[in-house]
Amino acid sequence: MTSPLLSSSELRSGESMHDVALAVRDLNFYYGDHHALHDITLDFPARCVTAMIGPSGCGKSTLLRVFNKIYDLYPGQRATGEVMFDGRNILESSTNLDMLRSRIGMVFQKPTPFPMSIYDNIAFGVKLHEKLSRTEMDERVQDVLTRVALWNEVRDRLSAPAAGLSGGQQQRLCIARSIATRPEVLLLDEPTSALDPISTARIEELLDELKEEFTIAIVTHNMQQAARCADRVAFFYLGGLVEVDTADRIFTNPRQKQTQDYITGRFG
Amino acid sequence: MRMTPVSRSQQRRLGFDIFFHGLLWLCALVVLALLGGLILLMATGGWKAFTTFGLGFFTHSSWNPVHDVYGVIAPLLGTVVSTTIAILFALPMAFGAAFWLTFIASARVSAIVGMTIQLLAAVPSIIFGMWGFLVIVPFIARNIQPFFNHHLRHSAFGPLLSGPPVGTGLMAAGIVLAIMIAPFMTAVMTDVFKAIPPMLRESAFGLGATRWEVMHKIVVPWSRNGMIGAVVLGMGRALGETMAVTFIIGNVTTVGWSLFAPRSTVASLIALQFPESPAGSLRLSSLMALGFILMLLSCVSLVLARFLRGKRQ
Repeated sequence: MTSPLLSSSELRSGESMHDVALAVRDLNFYYGDHHALHDITLDFPARCVTAMIGPSGCGKSTLLRVFNKIYDLYPGQRATGEVMFDGRNILESSTNLDMLRSRIGMVFQKPTPFPMSIYDNIAFGVKLHEKLSRTEMDERVQDVLTRVALWNEVRDRLSAPAAGLSGGQQQRLCIARSIATRPEVLLLDEPTSALDPISTARIEELLDELKEEFTIAIVTHNMQQAARCADRVAFFYLGGLVEVDTADRIFTNPRQKQTQDYITGRFG
Repeated sequence: MRMTPVSRSQQRRLGFDIFFHGLLWLCALVVLALLGGLILLMATGGWKAFTTFGLGFFTHSSWNPVHDVYGVIAPLLGTVVSTTIAILFALPMAFGAAFWLTFIASARVSAIVGMTIQLLAAVPSIIFGMWGFLVIVPFIARNIQPFFNHHLRHSAFGPLLSGPPVGTGLMAAGIVLAIMIAPFMTAVMTDVFKAIPPMLRESAFGLGATRWEVMHKIVVPWSRNGMIGAVVLGMGRALGETMAVTFIIGNVTTVGWSLFAPRSTVASLIALQFPESPAGSLRLSSLMALGFILMLLSCVSLVLARFLRGKRQ
């Protein structure tokens, strides 16, 4: 099953034929007493871009944070239900977090370069999980930087601090860093919200290439971005999943009135 | 003369601007003049000692009021070594406490412990002096020094442990100083750690890093400057701390390897001998010269910190 793109009818009728990378079942999430996600059930097909849209505070970023269990850093945040990944429920406490996070990468709203060189920013994540020789590491670094279209811009200053790059370059570096550990899923939390239009366009192009290989879940406030990049779009409202469908359908003929109101800008 | 303009007319405002501008200038100048005056006072006061002993002032190991011969090596070494010991003990304590408070402890526990640490920072140094004298000094005399002396006497560390077990000395002073400066350093480091963007930490954890890896690859490099600041703050306090140290260092102006024998520091020596030195005497001048050197030491540590900081950019 390698078909990267399915027509909308195929997706709707034959979802079971397609690999599902992440299967969410009856997920509830709590920030202490605050019930942030209500009974979410949602599939993320493999090697597709699934966009999550909805007004601020609707829980879409929270859902993203469940997938790599980053919420686990904060006492008081907990999730119930099931998130199946590679045949296992990652919400179980027996999940090996380091392994999980090496297989599910995450990129944040703002670029977060580590306080080290460009090269080391990429090598950092790789070294956590693999023992590579110097030449193998060099190849890996060049490979991922090429894929995010950054290699030509930084090849002469790999040992310079990553903080010296522009915002768009930093964000591409962060994506490179995430794919360098060869994850299966890439989580993007409004990755272009701090970037200018040109950098945004480059990252959107990049997503198109990356989905050949990775399952991508992206949270965005930008409806055009969702329409441009996503195969499937899920609309969230007040901690609940309102509707999920192909991008075409969501933006041309949504089933729910709430979705329609949101995408036409009547609220949100 | 009124400082507040009554009328809002252009001219009045302009006059007020000029006046206020001048006032601010004056404030800045007073600070500068104060510092200059202090340095000048110490330098001129110590001039007699500097000219009498020349370079010998820095190489002569005895401080002898009876023969009126003074050398600064003994108190200077005392200050430098006790401060170094204090930093060596306080840095890991402060780092650990700050890291735990910021990243590991729950919010409520962190608030309570954080408050306690701030209270500890507010304890007057004389209290630490008494506590050191009554608790730390006997503990060192009865337990620590005999223990290390017994096990390490014949090793390379032997000379550092020698001397009768009286308890007073550089080690006692270093430990008490460490406990005095650790709360300050903890407070500064906590602020520094809190300034780390959560997303940066989450990115590192998101790549599968463990807490240890995040600490030493992300947190430490990111907060390096702030930690240097914390160390300098602690160092400044340890260098100049007088009363607590005077209580527990033994106040003997000798030079030697032992960390457990009575010594003295610049500040403690000045505190003890200044009141009994007659005006115009060589002894008073030598003490002022010591004061000058202490100021210089603080300045050097500050400049060093700036330099270490600057190198990163």
